[in-house]
Parts: sequence; C-alpha cells; structure tokens
Amino acid sequence: MVAAQVSINNLSLVIHNKQILSDISFSVLPGQFIGLIGPNGAGKSSLLRCLYRYQTPQAGNIQIDEKEISQFSRQTYAKKVAAVLQEIPSQFNLAVFDVVAMGLTPHKRLFSSVSLRDRQAIQEALKKVGLAHKYQQPYESLSGGEKQRVMIARAIVQRPSLLLMDEPTSHLDVKYQIEIMALAKSLGITVIASFHDLNLASALCDSIIVLNEGSLVANGAPKNVVTTNMLLEVFGVKAEVILQTSPHGASVPYIRYQYQLTVMDLNDQASRGRECE
Amino acid sequence: MRVAASSVLVLACLFSFISALSIGAINVDFYDVWLALWSYDNTQLTQKIIIELRLPRTVLAFLAGAGLATAGLILQTVTRNPLADPYLFGISSGASFGVVLLITLFGMQSGLAMSGAALLGSICAMSLLLLIAYHKGTAQIENMLLAGVALSFLFNAFTSLLLYWSDPQAITAIIFWSLGSFSRADWAWIWLPSAVVILGILSVICFRRHLNALLLGDESAVTLGVNVHKLRLGMLLVSSLLTAVLVAACGGVGFVGLMIPHIVRFFISQARVLGMLATALSGGLFMLWVDVLARSLIDNQELPIGVITAAIGSVFFLSLLMFKKRSTSI
Repeated sequence: MVAAQVSINNLSLVIHNKQILSDISFSVLPGQFIGLIGPNGAGKSSLLRCLYRYQTPQAGNIQIDEKEISQFSRQTYAKKVAAVLQEIPSQFNLAVFDVVAMGLTPHKRLFSSVSLRDRQAIQEALKKVGLAHKYQQPYESLSGGEKQRVMIARAIVQRPSLLLMDEPTSHLDVKYQIEIMALAKSLGITVIASFHDLNLASALCDSIIVLNEGSLVANGAPKNVVTTNMLLEVFGVKAEVILQTSPHGASVPYIRYQYQLTVMDLNDQASRGRECE
Repeated sequence: MRVAASSVLVLACLFSFISALSIGAINVDFYDVWLALWSYDNTQLTQKIIIELRLPRTVLAFLAGAGLATAGLILQTVTRNPLADPYLFGISSGASFGVVLLITLFGMQSGLAMSGAALLGSICAMSLLLLIAYHKGTAQIENMLLAGVALSFLFNAFTSLLLYWSDPQAITAIIFWSLGSFSRADWAWIWLPSAVVILGILSVICFRRHLNALLLGDESAVTLGVNVHKLRLGMLLVSSLLTAVLVAACGGVGFVGLMIPHIVRFFISQARVLGMLATALSGGLFMLWVDVLARSLIDNQELPIGVITAAIGSVFFLSLLMFKKRSTSI
C-alpha cells in the first residue's frame, strides 16, 4: 500500500460569507494525474488556490507527504509544489530565459547568482518544451501556447514533486491544449489539473474529481465518473458517452454532446436556478 | 553583449563625471580636474571650485538620477504598472506641502530647514498612503494607486491654498524650490542621499528574483515561495524613502523615475542584474547631463532642473508613442 502524497480532509473555504468549498476530501497517490472538472464557479480554482497556499481554508486540512501544508516554510513548500496558472499579460520586457529562471527562486539565496548548473537546467527544461531556440526572445512576443510551455519549463526548473495546473489551456487552440497536457503528463510527477475540455480530461487522467457548487460529487476513474447522468446533473447538458479503447488498452469515455438545446430548456434552467437561490 | 554593455556604461560614467566637473561658468581643462581629484591643493581657486562646488553637485545629481530611476523601477514592478512613478504616489506633493508650510508659517528659507520640512512632508504622505492602502491587512494594487493619486491632489490643494495666502517673495522661493536644483549640494550632508541610494540599489539587487516573480502576477509569485505582501510593503518603503530623501535634497525632479526604467527595458530584459544596474546608472548619467545643461545653457544664470527634465521627458513620451505605433503597424 503506497502512502498518499496529497490528502485533503473535510476542506471548507468561505470568502466574504460565501461558501466556496464545502467538506471536500480526497487523496492522491504519487505519480497520479488527477483532473478537476466542474462547471464555472464550481470551486476548481479555489481548491487549487488552497493547494498552492494562496488561500487559507477555514476548516479541514491538506497534507502533503503526511505533513500539514501550513507547517512548511514558503521556500520549502515552493520546492515541493509548482503551479502553472492561467496566463497573465505582462507589459514588461522579460526574456524567455529569465521567466524560466524564476523557477530557481525557492532554490536560491538572496545574493546568489545563476550558476552554470542552473543555466544547464534551464536550457534542458526549454529543450523539453521545444523552445530552446527562443530563449532570448521576449516572453510577450510568444504565442499563448508557447507562453504556457515556458511556464511548464519554469515548473520543471522548480523541481517539484507536485504540479498544479489551473486551466492552463483555456484560451488555446486544440493542438496546444493536447500538447500542454501531454507535456505535463510526460514529466512523471504528480499532477492535479483543472480542465475545461472533458474529453481531454477523460483521455489523459488517471482519476477525475467532479466539483459542483463547492462540493465533491464524484471521484474515480474516468470511465466511472464521466457518465450521461453526471453530465446532465452537473453540467446540465445532454450527451451520449461512448467507451473507447485507448492505445494503451484502457477504456476511455468519449462524450458526444447533443446540440438541440432549445430556448425552452434555457427558460427551464433559469427557473430552476431561481428555485435554488 | 553583457560585457560590452557594462563596459560602455562604466566608461560613460567616468567620462561624464570628468566632463561635468570641467564644464561650467569657468571652463577647467581635464588635466586640472584630474589634478584637483588626485592632488588637491586648496589654495588654488579652480581646484577649490571643482572640489567644493562642482564635485558635490555632480555627485548629488548622479545620486538623484540613480535613486529616482531605481524608485521608479521598484514602483513599476510592485504595481505591475509601467506608468507608475515616484510622483504618482503623492510623495513629492507631501514634500512640497512641507516646504510651503515651513515658509509660510515660519518664514524660514534656509536650505537645510527646507530639506528637513520636505523630508517630514513626504514621510507624512507616505505613511498616510501605506495606512490607507493597508488598513484592511492586504493592499490591492489598484486601491494603492488610486489612494496615491487622491493624496497627491489633497496635498496640492493645501499647498495652493497656503500659496494663495502668502507673500510674493515666499511664492518665488517655493516655486524655485519645487522646480528642483542641485545647487544646495554640500559635503556636510551628502552622505544621507548616498547611503539611501546605495541601500535602495542593494535591496533591489538582493530581492531581484522575488521582484521579478511579481511581474507575472501575485499568485504566480506565491507559488514560487515569495511573501508577496511583505515584499510589496518593504519595497514601497524603500522607494518612498528614496523619493523622500532625494526630493528633500533637490526639490521636485520629475520624469526620471518614469522614463529611465522604460528606456532601459527596451534594450535589456529587466530580470537581469545588469538591467537593474543599467537603470540606476543611466538615471545617474541622465541627471548629471541635465545638471550640466542647467548650469551652462544660459550664461550667468541657472535653469531649473525640473524644466529641463520635463521638457526632455515629454518629448521622450511623444516619440515613444510614435515608435510604438510604427512597430505595431509593421
């Protein structure tokens, strides 16, 4: 029996008197690739924020390597956990190399400079994401997909054992969505990533966690979680789920949405939404 | 490339220092400047002019440029706003208010008292700003910028009100002060701006990784292990201290803090130590030559520093706009 790398117990988060997350518990084994899915506002980003310690939960706890995460120093924690977030526009001239070098921050003392070994690590990370030739270019001149690959290179340099990704591909073309996620999977470390594209999540993840209105509603292998019922209840869409066999022999659910949503349905949803309030 | 850029900067600094010492109402040749620097003979008038008058003035000009450029770099980084500058946060308005209050209430116009009043005024403005911005524990960048602009208007209103009531002589003194000048430079107190500027530059270099991490967002910086709130507060304090001391020493010198980091960023990625040093050195160089211009453009008269920097600064911004338009249209 392998000990869980991440375990979350009865986590609750309240911001401005609004319950964002309620009573969430799950655990992640080392090396697993976990997908977080759920409609907008379900709490995916907030859950990840609690994990990278940007927000402090009011109740419950998160343990990494069997230690409460608030007990780690900032630096130690940053050596364990890296994050690739949604893209933030920057109006400053930063070279690609320098953005990747930011990953060294938790490993460096205040006055120390970038050593030859660091330099090699940065070059290797850039090679891994296929951007070695662009290391001198301004970060802002890159395309959206390239920028996120640079952020992954930064995470590689940070040498974490857990990578968190908050919808890193939400504005990207299909090709880059697949590319970025495959790249993250190829690192061989534990990954918790939130997804917009449910088919992509089903194809890549070892396990999928479904959040709805701040609660965990399902957790398990894609084929058990991604079902017609769940799609209707959580996402409010009618869809057909077909089980396909992946090249690796696993059975992967594939969603075919039904696009005959009528105005009647929208009205229906609106009235249901009012009832909930 | 890095070696070339740094050696060009260092050589430019050396050359500029010696030129600045030799150019003036009385032109002194380079050889005499050299003699004055290395074998000072205080019975010779020209050497005395160089060591007692021009050298402290040149050093102060260089310090002011370097310090304000560094303060601008810090503010632009921690607010992630390339238009932030030390004057946006009401610090210099606070300083002007302090000076005006001193002159109108006590009728004092001695250089040292004015510097002291400016320092007190700017520290007062800076504390108010931090108090307002941090009163709920954590500061939002937008709130801080708005609070700074509001404070700046508030202090300006008080200043105008006091000016309205004061006599013409006091108004002249205040206007002269607010346009900035390095003529008050004196060996007796130049250690204070030197110490503060060196402290500022060192702290920027020391925390450069943390500062750079802020450029891609607070959350991203948190995931790199940066204590965002403490860093921002500390860096705001450093830049306010820089501005306060320099405004107190030389009056209102605008545009350097905004302009120099902008120009340097065009050429060097700002994450580099070289970029940070280049910002400080270019700020110093710029101010040094502005002072030379102020002393030598018109015979027997000194132009206010603020007029020259503002003139150069506005032309710079207009050309930046044109350049940007052209580079995006290609």
